[in-house]
Amino acid sequence: MDDNKEKRTVIEAEIPMGTVHPAALEPYRVRLFVEDEIVRDAEITVGINHRGVERIMEGLPVEKANSLTEKICGICSNSHIWNSCLTAEKPLGIEVPERAGYIRIIMEELERLHSHLLYLAHGSEVLGHETFAMRLFYIRETVMELLGMIGGNRVHYGASILGGVRPRCELDEMRIQQIKNGMDLLEEKITAFADRFVSDPLVMSRITGVGVISQKDALRLACTGPTLRATGVEKDLRRDMEEYDPFEFDVITQDDGDVKSQLLMRVMENFESIKIIRQAIRDLPPGPITNRSWEMKDTPLTKSYIEVPRGTLYHSYALEDGRVRNCVIRTPSMANIGAMQYACIGHHITDAQLCVVQCDPCFTCTDRAIQIIEI
Amino acid sequence: MSLKSYSRGRAIHVMLVYTGGCNGCDIEIVNCIFSPKFDAEQYKVFLTWNPREADVLVVTGPVTKHNEKPLLEIYNAIPEPKAVVAAGACALMGGVYKNIHGDIPSEEIAGPVDQIIPVDAKVPGCAVRPQDIVAGLVSALPLLLNAD
Repeated sequence: MDDNKEKRTVIEAEIPMGTVHPAALEPYRVRLFVEDEIVRDAEITVGINHRGVERIMEGLPVEKANSLTEKICGICSNSHIWNSCLTAEKPLGIEVPERAGYIRIIMEELERLHSHLLYLAHGSEVLGHETFAMRLFYIRETVMELLGMIGGNRVHYGASILGGVRPRCELDEMRIQQIKNGMDLLEEKITAFADRFVSDPLVMSRITGVGVISQKDALRLACTGPTLRATGVEKDLRRDMEEYDPFEFDVITQDDGDVKSQLLMRVMENFESIKIIRQAIRDLPPGPITNRSWEMKDTPLTKSYIEVPRGTLYHSYALEDGRVRNCVIRTPSMANIGAMQYACIGHHITDAQLCVVQCDPCFTCTDRAIQIIEI
Repeated sequence: MSLKSYSRGRAIHVMLVYTGGCNGCDIEIVNCIFSPKFDAEQYKVFLTWNPREADVLVVTGPVTKHNEKPLLEIYNAIPEPKAVVAAGACALMGGVYKNIHGDIPSEEIAGPVDQIIPVDAKVPGCAVRPQDIVAGLVSALPLLLNAD
């Protein structure tokens, strides 16, 4: 009898999820290696929606390439075009007018608002609370309308160009008033949502203590952005960016590193974004929004880092005859994949998708890994 | 009118397949069906993730090579009669990823959706507007309702 017990082994099973799966909007594949319904290991496979953006950017005129970087991601499109412009502006010595800088910040913070609200909606849907998801989509619609009003398109607004912002993104009195009204509405609605969210015992019991990433592990796995800040590390690249110097805002951190911290952190960051937009509108300097007096020249390989809704975004390229060479883009979700896999381990399989979603994955940005064999 | 088409008139199930676009169209479609602002559910259009339950297949994105086979499998799994709506510039003609390039053309795109599966309705836009999606879905409905 005893011998049999010793010989009995638990069959390790693999549960694949994806590439098309209801809980994951994007195509990626999660392989869960389970033992008695407890996840022992997890593996995330990306590369399904690899389109080779870096490769097709090779040799494009820089203005065209900037527009193409925007199409990398439909959630943080402004971040990509902004960072791509910064990468070219620094070595070319283009001075961005102050007003254009403020408008760029307004676009970026509006984008952060809609990205975080989308994350919360997606998280609520994975939790199984569809009512919250619907309400959050409704709140998010306010931001989308503002973005559509400023940029002319609801998703790819194309605000930044080399040397400033596009003329159509100029903020006149009517638009400023609309943004002001929108911010008041958003603050009211997000506050009401946050109260309801925190006081819901079912939701809180579902997310407390699930998917814990400790601070040590978050640093070891090189997490970035809100995923890192939710474990208690006060690291926000916006503090170091000179574009954000005129604005006062707090870096939000949470201590626990579980799904609750991740969700609440995004809720709190929304209020910081609203604060920054209000300051930007109040202090919006007069003047031109585009600097056209610059000349194209060859530049060495330049790097640029900015803080985007999901973490740190990296762009680098060199310019040769006004054409992009050796473009490399690294997106924050790439850095967070390790944390997503790690957070699943030790949890029941029903929590696994929640553990992946808590790190705010955006795999359409992430599929950048390419192998250039010959140029 | 058969019982099947009568019940189909009461509830249209839409399956969204994402084949490697930029998330923009994808979120706008979910937004259009799900959010209280556009609320396609009031027209009895519901989102599903099960191909055997679906009536309409909405495809976004230029189909990447990895996604070609899954898309065909999903299309074959949907019972007849079915309608396919291609949404967004990428799904219609490959978008920027197929058509704009520098020195090296993209080799990752298997082509627009209509080269892989037959498309009944096309919704243009980058990204598609929710109003256009509702119009596209509605234009595909006669195919389903007049099937038998």
